[in-house]
This record gives sequence, C-alpha cells and structure tokens, in this order.
Amino acid sequence: MLVFRRGNYTTMRTSYFHIACLLIVAIGMTLIVFIYSTQPKTFTEIATKSSVAIGTYEVNRSEFENGIAAFRRDEFEAARAAFDRADPEKRDAATQFYVAYSFYRQGWGRVSNDNGLFTKGLSAAERVLQLDPNYRSADPQLVMRTPIELKAELEDGLKITPSDFNPLKITRERK
Amino acid sequence: MTENETGPSEDLIETASESLERPRKQGGLSDTKIRRYTRVYVVLPIVFLLVTLFGGMRFAAADHSFLFLPPPLICLIFGAVTIFLIFRARLIDFESWFDERHPILENAANAGVILVIFAASVQVYNLLLPESGLANWVVTALFVWTLWNDIFADFDQKKLLRSFAGLFAIAFVTKYLVLSNLAVKNDASWLQRILENPGKEAATWFLDLPVYSPATGYLQFFTILLFLFGLFLTPRTANTKKLSS
Repeated sequence: MLVFRRGNYTTMRTSYFHIACLLIVAIGMTLIVFIYSTQPKTFTEIATKSSVAIGTYEVNRSEFENGIAAFRRDEFEAARAAFDRADPEKRDAATQFYVAYSFYRQGWGRVSNDNGLFTKGLSAAERVLQLDPNYRSADPQLVMRTPIELKAELEDGLKITPSDFNPLKITRERK
Repeated sequence: MTENETGPSEDLIETASESLERPRKQGGLSDTKIRRYTRVYVVLPIVFLLVTLFGGMRFAAADHSFLFLPPPLICLIFGAVTIFLIFRARLIDFESWFDERHPILENAANAGVILVIFAASVQVYNLLLPESGLANWVVTALFVWTLWNDIFADFDQKKLLRSFAGLFAIAFVTKYLVLSNLAVKNDASWLQRILENPGKEAATWFLDLPVYSPATGYLQFFTILLFLFGLFLTPRTANTKKLSS
C-alpha cells in the first residue's frame, strides 16, 4: 500500500515537471512572439502593450483632462502632448477625436489652411473611425461632433476648389 | 477501532515509510531525479528562452531604445542544421528523448525542450549575422560553408560543442569588434563625418552597416555564452532510467 502510494507520488512529481516544462515553453514563446510582433522600445512600452493585449488598457484621465484644458485655451501642441501621454497606444476614440480636432483648429486659416496639419488631422480622424465608427462627442463646445463631419471638413480644406477664391470666404468662422 | 489497535498500526506505517525514505536519502536517487528533472524541464527551457528573447535584441545608437529584429529565413535553415548536428553528434540521443513507450506528456515536454533549443539556435544565428549589406552576404556564405562541412564531419559531443564555440566566437568578433568599429556613429553631419573620417564613412556606406549602441555587443556576448552553457547543460538522455542503468 505504502509502496503503491509512494509510486503514485513519484509519478505525480514527474508529470508535474513535464507540465511545468510545457507551461514555461508555451508562456515564454507567447511572450517572445508578442514582444517581437509589437516591437516595444522601452520597458514602459512593454507594460503598456501588455495591458492592451490583456485588455486592461485605460486612458490616463488626468492627462486627458489636461489635454482638454489646453485644447480649450487654443494651446494645441500642448494639448496633443497631453493626449499622447493619456493614450500612448492611440486606442481611445475620444482622445483621438480631440487630437484630430486640434489639428483642424490649429491648421485652420481664414485665407488658407495648413495642409500639413490638416493631413495629420485627417489620419487621426480616420483612426477614430477605425476605433469606433459610431463615435459621437458629448462636448457641447465642439461644432463638429462626429469623426465623419471632421473628416469631411479636413478633406474639404485640403482640396482646391473654385470656392477657395471666393472673397467672402474670409467671413467664415472656425468650427 | 480502539486506541490500542490503531496505535501500533500507525507506528508500523511510520517505520515502514521511514525505511522507504532512508534508501532514497542515502542513495540520493530521488534527489538526483528531482535535480535532473529541474535541469531538463525548468532550467534548460528558461536558459534557451532567454537566448531566444535576447538573440534579436539590439539597442538603438541614438536613444538606446530596444530594437527587436525577427530572424531572417536563412537563420531558420541554420537552426535546423544545428539541431540536425546536435542529433547526429548524439549531444541529444533522439531515441531516449522520444520514445513511444514514454507517456505522451513526457514526449511533449521533451519536444518542448527541443523546440526552445531550435528557437535559441535560430536567434544565435540572427545575432551573429550582420543585418544587411555585403557583410551579411559574406558571413552567410561562410556559415553555409562551415555548416555544410560539419554535416559530413565525424563529430562527438565535445567536438561539436568546440566547433560551435569556435564558429560563434569568430563570427562574434567579426560582427561586434571588426565591423562595428568600421561603422560610423550618426551623431555628426554627413559632411563632417566625411571630412573627419573618410575611411570609416566609406566603409559604412560600402558595407551598409547598421549602427547600434555598444550595449548591444555586451548583451550578445552573454547571449552566446548562455546558449553554449545551455548546450553544455543539455543531457544526452532525457529520462533517468537510462541514466541509472
């Protein structure tokens, strides 16, 4: 009886080692494939990308609020820096919508628009559409509330049309 | 059952279990098994996984940020040849590691160990091959030549380990001492670099050498040592029955 129990004990221990080996290999290989596919540049990025992978990624609320405050003061570069800190993985539709909007407001001109900033704004607006096609901002201070409106406005700003030569254009207002 | 009846039987069980434990402790067979299993199924996978992780890792010259370079296809071929050589030189006895008489779990665990050895050897070639340019072609050709000859050579375990150590050492010196010293760091303007060191600038351009932080060389040196240490730790036979016999 005792021998049998001891035999069982030994077998269990051996299989524990085999299971541990398989777990180490599976977890290790998964981690390595994850790291090589996501290409993190720092330890902070490893942590952020890991949180994205396991679904615990969250926007930094205080940085987001700082970004909103800077956006309302028309300090768009500071706003975008805060939004980047708030959402380093660019996975939050609301944050990316404000990023796109900041490019629009900074690039908007009564006579002509800044094409470089509008192009960046357009790619940010497209990112919002990819993240959440039905996104709608609840901010009452924004004239354009959806990424589709913002994208259309940015695309319109990048095109050269006969209406661009209309002198009454200087009376239009920034949205 | 009374206390008088249970007392002696418990004593008997204790005595019997002690008598069973004694040879285990004196002979050390069980402890040997545990140490061996720990080495094969815990230490070896961790060692080779670390090699796999660090093999493609570089540090950028500008800001020392991480760069993870996946292995090119040729490294997979070199890794497969290395595994073939390991089996052929009987550094790992195939029949002992994989046997239909073993439990499936044991065969699976052994396959896991072989898989990480393969992944680590692929990454060792990844770290040794220059990433691009003429140097990449030359070193790749030399690796092909050496490994092709090794396939037909008569190896035993020690000779194979020595051969790998020699091959890796010369490739490491070529890449991280000779070629890296020919590459110019990108902290000056193009014109300034040409005026100050035209030879180095020409070599960088001609050989198309990427520039990494010096920390890369240190990391890769220890990665190669870790790989060779892992191979040194790898037992020829996986199970202890063959060991004890």
